[in-house]
Amino acid sequence: AASEFTRMREAQVEPNNITLITLLSACAHRPSQTTISFGATIHAHAFKHGFAINDVKVGTALIDMYAKSSRVDAARLVFDQMGVRNLVSWNTMIDGYVKNGEIENALKLFDKLPTKNAVSWTVLIGGFLKRDCYEQALECFREMQIAGVAPDYVTIIAIIAACANLGALGLGLWIHRLVMKKEFRDNVRVLNSLIDMYARCGCIELARQVFNGMTQRNLVSWNSIIVGFAQNGLAGEALSFFHSMKKEGFEPNGVSYTGALTACSHAGLIDDGLKIFADMKRVCRVSPRIEHYGCIVDLYSRAGRLEEAWDVIEKMPMKPNEVVLGSLLAACRTLGDVELAEKVMKYLVELYPGGDSNYVLLSNIYAAVGKWDGASKLRKAMKERGLQKKQGFSSIEIDSSIHKFVSGDKYHDEKDNIYSTLELLSFELQLYDFVPDLSGKESYEED
Amino acid sequence: SFSSPEEAAAERRRRKRQIRIEPPLSALNRNQQPPNQNAKSQSPPYYLNPSNPKLPEHASALTGNRLNLHNRILTLIRENDLDEAALYTRHSIYSNCRPTIFTINAVLYALLRQSRYSDLLSLHRFITQAGVVPNIITHNLIFQTYLDCRKPDTALEHFKQFINDAPVNPSPTTFRIIVKGLVDNNRLDRALDIKGQMDDKGFGPDPLVYHYLMLGHARNSDGDGVLRLYEELKGVLGGVVEDGVVLGCLMKGYFLKGMEKEALECYQEVFAEGKRMSDIAYNSVLDALTKNGKFDEALKLFDSMIKEHNPPAKLAVNLGSFNVMVDGYFAEGRFKEAIEIFRSMGEYRCRPDTLSFNNLIEQLCNNGMILEAEEVYGEIKGKGVNPDEYTYGLLMDTCFKENRPDDAASYFKKMVESGLRPNLAVYNRLVDGLVKVGKIDDAKSFFDLMVKKLKMDVASYQFMMKVLSEEGRLDEVLQMVDMLLDDNGVDFDEEFQEFVKGELRKEGREDDLAKLMEEKERLKAEAKAKEAEEAEAAKKRVGSGILLTSKLFGNKEAESESTDA
Amino acid sequence: QLNERGSVQEQALPPSIVDLTRFCSEGKVKEALELMEKGVKADANCFELLFDLCGKSKSVDDAKKVHDYFLQSTFRSDFKLHNKVIEMFGNCKSMTDARRVFDHMPNRNMDSWHIMIRGYANSTLGDDGLQLFEQMNDLGLEVTSETLLAVLSACASAEAVEDAYLHFETMKSKYGIEPGVEHYMALLDVLGQSGYLEEAGEFIKNLPFEPTVTVLETLKGFARLHGDIDLEDHVEELIVNIDPSKVVANKIPTPPPKKYTAISMLDGRNRIIEYKNPTLYKDDEKLKALSSMKDAGYVPDTRYVLHDIDQEAKEQALLYHSERLAIAYGLISTPPRTPLRIIKNLRVCGDCHNAIKIMSRIVGRELIVRDNKRFHHFKDGKCSCGDYW
Repeated sequence: AASEFTRMREAQVEPNNITLITLLSACAHRPSQTTISFGATIHAHAFKHGFAINDVKVGTALIDMYAKSSRVDAARLVFDQMGVRNLVSWNTMIDGYVKNGEIENALKLFDKLPTKNAVSWTVLIGGFLKRDCYEQALECFREMQIAGVAPDYVTIIAIIAACANLGALGLGLWIHRLVMKKEFRDNVRVLNSLIDMYARCGCIELARQVFNGMTQRNLVSWNSIIVGFAQNGLAGEALSFFHSMKKEGFEPNGVSYTGALTACSHAGLIDDGLKIFADMKRVCRVSPRIEHYGCIVDLYSRAGRLEEAWDVIEKMPMKPNEVVLGSLLAACRTLGDVELAEKVMKYLVELYPGGDSNYVLLSNIYAAVGKWDGASKLRKAMKERGLQKKQGFSSIEIDSSIHKFVSGDKYHDEKDNIYSTLELLSFELQLYDFVPDLSGKESYEED
Repeated sequence: SFSSPEEAAAERRRRKRQIRIEPPLSALNRNQQPPNQNAKSQSPPYYLNPSNPKLPEHASALTGNRLNLHNRILTLIRENDLDEAALYTRHSIYSNCRPTIFTINAVLYALLRQSRYSDLLSLHRFITQAGVVPNIITHNLIFQTYLDCRKPDTALEHFKQFINDAPVNPSPTTFRIIVKGLVDNNRLDRALDIKGQMDDKGFGPDPLVYHYLMLGHARNSDGDGVLRLYEELKGVLGGVVEDGVVLGCLMKGYFLKGMEKEALECYQEVFAEGKRMSDIAYNSVLDALTKNGKFDEALKLFDSMIKEHNPPAKLAVNLGSFNVMVDGYFAEGRFKEAIEIFRSMGEYRCRPDTLSFNNLIEQLCNNGMILEAEEVYGEIKGKGVNPDEYTYGLLMDTCFKENRPDDAASYFKKMVESGLRPNLAVYNRLVDGLVKVGKIDDAKSFFDLMVKKLKMDVASYQFMMKVLSEEGRLDEVLQMVDMLLDDNGVDFDEEFQEFVKGELRKEGREDDLAKLMEEKERLKAEAKAKEAEEAEAAKKRVGSGILLTSKLFGNKEAESESTDA
Repeated sequence: QLNERGSVQEQALPPSIVDLTRFCSEGKVKEALELMEKGVKADANCFELLFDLCGKSKSVDDAKKVHDYFLQSTFRSDFKLHNKVIEMFGNCKSMTDARRVFDHMPNRNMDSWHIMIRGYANSTLGDDGLQLFEQMNDLGLEVTSETLLAVLSACASAEAVEDAYLHFETMKSKYGIEPGVEHYMALLDVLGQSGYLEEAGEFIKNLPFEPTVTVLETLKGFARLHGDIDLEDHVEELIVNIDPSKVVANKIPTPPPKKYTAISMLDGRNRIIEYKNPTLYKDDEKLKALSSMKDAGYVPDTRYVLHDIDQEAKEQALLYHSERLAIAYGLISTPPRTPLRIIKNLRVCGDCHNAIKIMSRIVGRELIVRDNKRFHHFKDGKCSCGDYW
């Protein structure tokens, strides 16, 4: 396209605004060093002819191009210079900020926007979502409802994703009812995200209902239901969906295989797992990624076949990550294979010398083989270097609002009742011969 | 009673104030009133919270969902699904709809009426732990339970604690339960003490309590004691005792003192104007007559009771009347009529319970009428009653006496199969009986059956070993030792070992024991090492699992694909 | 809607007492209050209606507002209306406010006292009601049959059985008040609410009149309240005996008790305990739990808190991990046996995993925990992950 443009210029044909927009969106689509400089050329050209200021569409296309090329300042410059702006320019600019992680600026601009449409809200919600600020996303959605702006299907998908992450089943169910009343009630993407949401809220039966009720499904629908069942520990169901998927003519992709393999490793179905893995490579020609190898290592480890698990790690075409090595390590410890554990450990330290998780792992390994000195030295070093473990929190949805707790939390309104309930529970646990594992304070992963 | 309302109020407040932090009459002083008093009185105190005042909830707390829960539990109780009733009550403690003490009392009462004492105590233990404050009914149920279980000392301990600490007053029923229970447990002295406490607390004289105490004296053949109590009651009531409930015991007192004339004069009072005769009062008189050779009078009285009986408005006969009559007929040797009258009770809307069935069967067995006893046993289930351990034990013992060891064994078997739990003594009688008639194999098979269930003692083991050894079945003796070593309940001490060696010595195999024990030690040590290893491993697994499995299959990607695709 | 109406009114005519009366008789408290805020003056009739309405809705805030307007009005010295105010606050269970009004009343009549005592009784502050009655006595006020009813309701509220009987007797002897059916009913209430069931049954037998269906139904209600199904059944029979139309349809027949303790006359003969005790069965978990409780020094009535370990270890043992806090909060916020869904950002620790497994059985719920990796469906003491995670 670039060369066409050059030829056009050479042919003394003045490009009109349509041409420019087409070119800019081409540049925005594949941002790279060359496209940016080319885009800048077009910008200059557009500026010369006044398109950038007077033509809304060209201006907007410019903003989009800069934003997508991580040049959000330039985008803002164009935005500010524009003589006429429409809602699309505003939304594009906000989106630009969001895409570049400048959510505060996005919010500032959003507040200035006189009339907001569904896209404006959705852009903002999407921004919160990208930054894992799910509660803010939901808050934003609530404000949108109050403002009386009807959500479109993109908004809905974003909100369902937020619900899925927060486990906000109550709100999720409400959204589902809302969806049923809307014109996009049969939208595959909306329904897919509902499946995902129900699965991630632990309501796998509802996920199945949504899946069964779909008039048409795509690959993602199948993947969502397979992964959903696998994660919920229902291996048989996951595998049977995996098989019927193929029967219905869908070609499984990497995600489908991840789901199927996870299901196998959950249920300890070692032969099925290996067969699926082989099929994946040979029949379906999906090249295995690290997570697939991880499943196989896990599968072998659970079956106590450590040598084979190590073999997989050694032969896999990519560097093993700590997860893969870790699942082998766990098995080493269960089976008391100190030798292999040290081998794995050494490998791990070589691969990933930084990062707190390695220290934790390492110290736990030392502890496991009884080298308490090593373990405590490591923990000390960890403290000195200021390596902090992530704070753990748990949340629960009650009456559509999310309550978050951290360990030893004393801030909740009902704290007295919560603690006395726990005390009663602890007492009852003792009657069931439950002995608390007091070594809990030694382990670093937990909160 | 208290001499004035003020006095009673002061006593009640004294009890309540112990646990109230704020003065009870704070409303009188406006400055002390907490500002959010409204909010507090509207939301019922959450009794899981230890800082809340430990007063039992008032009847007005039973509204809304908690009332629905109450009704639901009552239905379960009527359906006789007590397991579910108790479980649902427990589960409701862990919810936003906690059961009130009223609902809990309903379950406790239902458990008591089915003699499910350990379930009852377990539920009570649980609600106490959960901080549910018991009310007077709960306390009464617990007293009743301990007394029914023949644990008068525990009941008294609980009572003492209740009197000292509980924020509620005892009711007249409390004293009735305790006095009756103590008398039934042969603790008349303590029962009299409790009556003294009742007087001290200002309770009016209760003829029923006097009845129980007089009964206690009568059982101890202390006629003077009976009369003394009667005079006391008459004194405090101002010379007239309208309630006929004490008449029966009074008669017994006279009979004990050989004052038959006075006793029969007393009997005439039953028909006197203004005498209040309840079913219990009648039965007591009936009992006095039958036990003192006045069976003809008893029959006449029973007839007039039957005529007066007009349920539900007037209850003149009850199950007890029939029990007394059954005993009376047996004492007269009129066995057939005893069975007849027992079977006729249904016509008067009375139902026999297990206890009265046992009574009849026992009487029949004692009089050598095992066939009739078995016939009655066959009728039990049809009456909606279940035989208990005592029923089976009775039949088993009698069958042995009648030289029917196989039937004896089959009664034992039936008992175990129907989920009943005979104790060691019954089991010992069984194997003893079987061995005596040479049924060693049967005895051994019952040993094998019961050793898995019952905690056997040394004597039971040794008895079986001795029997086997005498039969020359030493391998089986060693097998038993093997089993015994696995069971931590019995101490296989030197003395026991000597016993086994002694048996083995008969065939010169005393070394076998040492071998067996060595092997056992080795296996145990192995198992222990393995267990320790596993525990260690499990502990470490707990320690490091997260990193090992997190992001095992690149879930982030799967998620974004599924939502964005 | 409300604003619309208001503005229409404003445009047309200034709102008047007519509108206010209409709102009051239609039961629209909020609207009435708005008009009063705009300066419409309520008359005695309006106030009376408003007092009733607020009492019914039990809204203390509204009650206080209405009371404020009342104090600014010309009716503020009308003691009849004052009584109404006390009644309103009593119905709202705000006895502090009621008491304030009562204390500041220039003229009290007997009704004022009765309303106060009844208010205390209804707010489960019977003791305060009885205290007030003592004051009344000290002032030498003439006690009426109405007073006795109020006092008995306070006794029922305070579960003060002895007091009730004493008041009952003194009023007869001191004031010559002949108790009527309603007084006997009130005394029955005292017994029933205080859990004196057997006494209540005897009380009814000894009534100076034949117990009516109403009396028996009251007793039946108390039998249900306290869960005594045998008494309930018996009273039900008595009721049907008087009025066959009261027969309960579809009644589940009550299962017979194992033994009739009170009436069997075989008390000394029950030897089942000897047959069962002290048998120890190997599978008897309950016995085990009970005996371990005994070892730990369990005595009835004492809440027992993890005696066998020291304080620090206890904190550790309780392990207030965030998932446990979330579960505990979930439990006390939701109905029994409904599932809970917890989300955790890290992995569930091994101790919690084991604990939650058993908790799911103890609390009778499915506990679904999503940690950063997978789901754990805890149910009946087991976890869907098969303990591998």
